Amino acid sequence: MTVEIIFNSSWQEELLNRLTNDGPWGSWDLYKLAVEVEKHTLVPEFEGLRAPVHIPQLTPLPHQLEVAKQVVENMHGKAILADEVGLGKTIEAGLILKEYMIRGLVKKALILVPASLVLQWEMELNTKFFIPAVAQKKSYMWEQYDVVVSSIDTAKRNPHRDIIFKQNYDIVIIDEAHKLKNNKTKNYEFVQSLKKKFCLLLTATPIQNRLEEIFNLVSLLKPGHLGSESSFFEKYKKDSRSIQDNEHLKELINKVMIRNRRSDTGIEWKKRHVETIPIHFTKEEQDLYDSILTLKEEQGITQSQFSTMTLQREACSSREAVYYTLKNMLQRQENPSPAYEATIASLIKRIEAVPRNSKAEKALELIKKIGDKVIIFTEYRATQLYLQWFLQQHGITSVPFRGGFKRGKKDWMRELFQKKVQVLIATEAGGEGINLQFCSHIINFDLPWNPMRLEQRIGRIHRLGQEKDVMIYNFAIKNTVEEHILKLLYEKINLFEKVIGDLDDILTRLEFGSIEDHLIDIFGHSASEGEMKIKMENFTSMIQFAEQMKEGNHHAATGNL
Amino acid sequence: MQQQEIYKFLHNYFDSNGCEFVELADGYMTVQLTEELDKELMNRPFYWHYLEKTGGIPNPMKLTLITDQSNVPENIKGENIHFGSPRLHQIFESTKRLAGYIRLYENKEGAMGSQIPLLPWLCVNMKISYQCDRKRDVYKSIGLQLINGRMVTDFHDLLLKIELTPKIPDYAFTLSPLIMPKSGMARIESLLRTLIAEEDHSWANDARIRWKKDLDLLKHFYEGDEKNESYEIEQRALKDQFEPKIHISIINGGLFYLTDKAV
Repeated sequence: MTVEIIFNSSWQEELLNRLTNDGPWGSWDLYKLAVEVEKHTLVPEFEGLRAPVHIPQLTPLPHQLEVAKQVVENMHGKAILADEVGLGKTIEAGLILKEYMIRGLVKKALILVPASLVLQWEMELNTKFFIPAVAQKKSYMWEQYDVVVSSIDTAKRNPHRDIIFKQNYDIVIIDEAHKLKNNKTKNYEFVQSLKKKFCLLLTATPIQNRLEEIFNLVSLLKPGHLGSESSFFEKYKKDSRSIQDNEHLKELINKVMIRNRRSDTGIEWKKRHVETIPIHFTKEEQDLYDSILTLKEEQGITQSQFSTMTLQREACSSREAVYYTLKNMLQRQENPSPAYEATIASLIKRIEAVPRNSKAEKALELIKKIGDKVIIFTEYRATQLYLQWFLQQHGITSVPFRGGFKRGKKDWMRELFQKKVQVLIATEAGGEGINLQFCSHIINFDLPWNPMRLEQRIGRIHRLGQEKDVMIYNFAIKNTVEEHILKLLYEKINLFEKVIGDLDDILTRLEFGSIEDHLIDIFGHSASEGEMKIKMENFTSMIQFAEQMKEGNHHAATGNL
Repeated sequence: MQQQEIYKFLHNYFDSNGCEFVELADGYMTVQLTEELDKELMNRPFYWHYLEKTGGIPNPMKLTLITDQSNVPENIKGENIHFGSPRLHQIFESTKRLAGYIRLYENKEGAMGSQIPLLPWLCVNMKISYQCDRKRDVYKSIGLQLINGRMVTDFHDLLLKIELTPKIPDYAFTLSPLIMPKSGMARIESLLRTLIAEEDHSWANDARIRWKKDLDLLKHFYEGDEKNESYEIEQRALKDQFEPKIHISIINGGLFYLTDKAV
């Protein structure tokens, strides 16, 4: 079969033009140089990476180079990059983009990332890769610039949307792509309708969990790779208990996904030290906590179990957090019964009776002892505000950080934290996507019950570029729900020091469901602490069983040798 | 390109463009740009526009380029240049733009009374790119004698051995081409097409197999939903991704008048 040959004739026209006009003619020295230049810049082989030669100041790690090579040579430029948090997925994507640009296979690139990461991507592409990327600010920029970084939320809205569809992008890169697991969302629909010649989806969350999510993500990248929707679910949902089929599925997925684990990289990682700090309530705090417990028995006071559990957890954080929720509960009732109002009022009385916050005092003591930069994570905004005030009272400077902050404000806060203040107080949503590896201490003021979130938190500082061992302090109040959470997460599963992916893989293989689902069930849906304890015991033994299975497999494998 | 090669290249570039060197040391150079090169490299159209409007005295910039940071005194500030740096690539592009077309004569003077004839050659240096989802480039130089139609490959290398001058030497005269440059280009193009057709194209066949495979998956995915707009977009994306193509682009070239013994 013949291949189409395209002969660029524009040079010839200009030559004839200059012959007619007798010039102008170039100088022989420059002419020779131009040929030299071309010989140096052309890429004689299909295989191999040219990008590293162009970025001598950056030394990519072996696993990053391997990923870039795999994607370009074997995956034809369409891949899910799913390395664990902190292994440098941005570097991998940058390498691939640079490689394609050097080879002239990519001119226009669209990079969609969470709003909080736009400036960071822009900066990294420019400084590390010399790729002239710009953060999208005005709608004309889509047409004017070749490499544009934007958030999906901006891009999917008009007028941007229409302009984007008119551009002919050679590559689309999407960071935090696990947010596209639901194919009913506007974001999904938007990305699906983009033309994707080359495409990189970056995610740190292992997607082996829900079949549906895998299907959606892979189908975004390479429709049909896992079959059509109906054929896929026919095949895997019914037989999803057979491991044989899952092995086959895994193989298929591995054709479009690369996942490196910390342990695969051969890099010596800075250690994580985890320290649990047990804290005792003051008498007043204990009273408040206990009075929330009694709520359970009074019918009609709480609408759902969820809010009782929430109140309990909040009581472990700060009285402000409890107060805020109570106020909301009261406001939400259209005609609160006198009994309801009375109960709330009595709780508020107890809140007022609390004179000090044991955890905050412990945090203060710890921060003073550390004498270095510290990140405090809390789940609650009320606690965040309180802590900021409390630390200020004691002469400690701090800045807040939240997911809801605008892009510029986030960057500014990060900058302040790096250069000026000692403490950054972040709420959950703010934990995602900023790199704070210049800090090596984290205080988990209260704990999320989703371990993936915990991993994200730690991943902010335990990543490439961290020069010190990382210290993680977990605060837990004795004899409370918090202690149970911690027992499960840390003491029994030993979760903090191990990377969650491993365990999740085992559970998935055994069809036990994901850790996340279990935890939501245990902490979110248990009607009583008793139920929670029993469920937790079950879960723990399941995990122990899973770990034994893993070890058993190892033994079996060595036995075969 | 090693750092020393880059240094040599930069030196040649500025020298060929008539720039003065304010400082020329190991590891770095400071160049006084000419007006032309300031416009070419410094990206300040407003300054030049302003100057033209007001008739002020042009003040082209000085540029300090560092190729070996370890070899530079501390008080010297400049741009670090390495193979990937945007400035170097800008200069690469500029080199190609400034030297796209040429006309030269072999520098051989005839003796008194016997004039030397110079034969016209059309030379093109080009890049042939083989492209699918991957890409490789090949450099090729072809010369065509515009009187007898003889074609020579690696022509540029031959030219490097000949002394050339932009003005016709004394006692030399040029023969008029029998083949017009336009049809000369057509001959070169058709030669290339023949040469390329004879090459091994397994890379293209492999790409077509990959393409077909993904296309089949896509068809299956949209079965019963062929009207879906995404289907059509995905098909175009696959075409862009895999379709094998060969691009021939010309780096530079022109007319060379040479003695019949030269080639």
